[in-house]
Amino acid sequence: MKILIIEDEKGMSESMGAYLSDENYQCEFAATFTQGLEKIDLYTYDCILLDLMLPGGDGFRLLEELKAQKKQDGVIIISAKNSVEDKIKGLKIGADDYLAKPFHLSELAARIYSIIRRKQFANANVIEQNELKIDLLAKTVFVYQKEISLTKKEFDLLLYFISNKNRVISKSALAEHISGDIADMFDNYDFVYAHIKNLKKKLAEAGYDNNIKTLYGSGYKWEI
Amino acid sequence: MGDMNKLLNKSLKRISVYAGIVLTCSIPIYYSAISKLWQYELDEHNILLTPEAGREDSFLIISAITLLTVFFFALLLGGFIWLNRGISRRLWQPFYKSLEQIKAFDLNKHSKIIFDRADISEFAELNDSLDKLIRGSIATYNQQKEFADNASHELQTPLSIVQLKLEMLQQSSSLTNEQYKIIEETLQALSRVNRINKNLLLLTRIENSQFLDKELFDLSDLLNNTVKLFVNFSDNKNINLQANIGSGVLVEANKTLVEIVVNNLLTNAIRHSIPKSSVVITLSTGILTVTNSGLVSLQQDQLFKRFATASAQNPGTGLGLAIIKQICDRYHWAINYRFKNHQHIFSLHF
Repeated sequence: MKILIIEDEKGMSESMGAYLSDENYQCEFAATFTQGLEKIDLYTYDCILLDLMLPGGDGFRLLEELKAQKKQDGVIIISAKNSVEDKIKGLKIGADDYLAKPFHLSELAARIYSIIRRKQFANANVIEQNELKIDLLAKTVFVYQKEISLTKKEFDLLLYFISNKNRVISKSALAEHISGDIADMFDNYDFVYAHIKNLKKKLAEAGYDNNIKTLYGSGYKWEI
Repeated sequence: MGDMNKLLNKSLKRISVYAGIVLTCSIPIYYSAISKLWQYELDEHNILLTPEAGREDSFLIISAITLLTVFFFALLLGGFIWLNRGISRRLWQPFYKSLEQIKAFDLNKHSKIIFDRADISEFAELNDSLDKLIRGSIATYNQQKEFADNASHELQTPLSIVQLKLEMLQQSSSLTNEQYKIIEETLQALSRVNRINKNLLLLTRIENSQFLDKELFDLSDLLNNTVKLFVNFSDNKNINLQANIGSGVLVEANKTLVEIVVNNLLTNAIRHSIPKSSVVITLSTGILTVTNSGLVSLQQDQLFKRFATASAQNPGTGLGLAIIKQICDRYHWAINYRFKNHQHIFSLHF
């Protein structure tokens, strides 16, 4: 899977690249508008992370260029502005998602994962991992062919873990993922613990080897 | 204006008093002049009067002069009033006009004042000076708003870099529990900085008249959905979230802004409640109240000011209520706070 990171702040692009570069993702970088344009013209990517304020031009113009060329690359706008207008404008032009700075790396990985799945497996969107089978469209989960019933939050958490394999995920990132902006206003994320406990229990009861590990007392990891 | 005298009345009063004094003082002078002349005429024609007739004459002269003086005084006074009113009104017209304009001026409303050209040099000068003063205020105000906007904007990227780097550090395989805890605590403090920054940005955006579009929507629906989202956090603190939401309450405003008001009110109520108590949300037509338990009343006059409530014990940003106030001001809604029976009660009249 190829990912293009168009971002002028080296500190940002390096960290994103380092987090995403595992066996699945291969990251390329563009730090200016022109570099971005060149890469978009020459290659095709599974997902493009696009900063809106670039030296040499507006990120929206890159998006327009991409759509003019009728390319199917998934696009996530990454912006420091966090304005509703920009979000609407970006999605209208054809971006797939919008992520406001600052964000969690695990959230970025989850969004990329979801876009790539949607783009490439539009009709048969099923994730299989050992005995675990997840149908993304029907939002159902099977262990050894047998359906287990998860709440919406547990389902979201499961996907989040799968899109952040072998990575340490903090409780706050999980809280923000399932509660959105509201999590941002509280400092106590203990409710995440309850949801994870239930998810673990349901998977174990169905006989699935437990992949969710608790680390350092307050972090989690889906180990494969 | 109350007890204060209007400019026009004041000048008129002085002039009348002066005219009164002059005319009163003139009575003895007229009297002595006329008596002298009279005596002279009598002496020339060698007429001798009895003392009774002399007294009678003096008396007649005094009363005639007084009568005449009073008559002229009244005439003068009437004239003064009539003339002064007319002239002054025309003369001070530009002044009153400028005054009206300044009264109607509001820095927040982005309206500019254009003064009429006054043909009296003092007023023209006054208008020029006012114009300069107001222009200066507008420029300073805009600069200040721009500064807050730019500053929080510029902070966003470095803050993001710090966060991403710390999260990368969390991925290191050789971390000890102690080290992980330090990173986690740093990230927590960072998330508070991010929150403050985000709220500052929001505040300047509302001040800069963004979020202008309005729609008519069902506040009851919005509130019901919001309450569902907050249950996670209230359960966490063992707080009973009670919603008495009347159905079909409509409101016309910007939906994003109303969501912010509701979120901030609920966040505050849950955050500052004593564990194992209740937060009550009540909605009926035109009024929304959020009630939560508390030990002491909050400081009314400081409550809606920026950072007034920020403290070491308070994990909030100190901006939540300032944002609520700003949004309410835009729609001319009233937000009130009172403390009764150990309950903090915030009510919003829309």
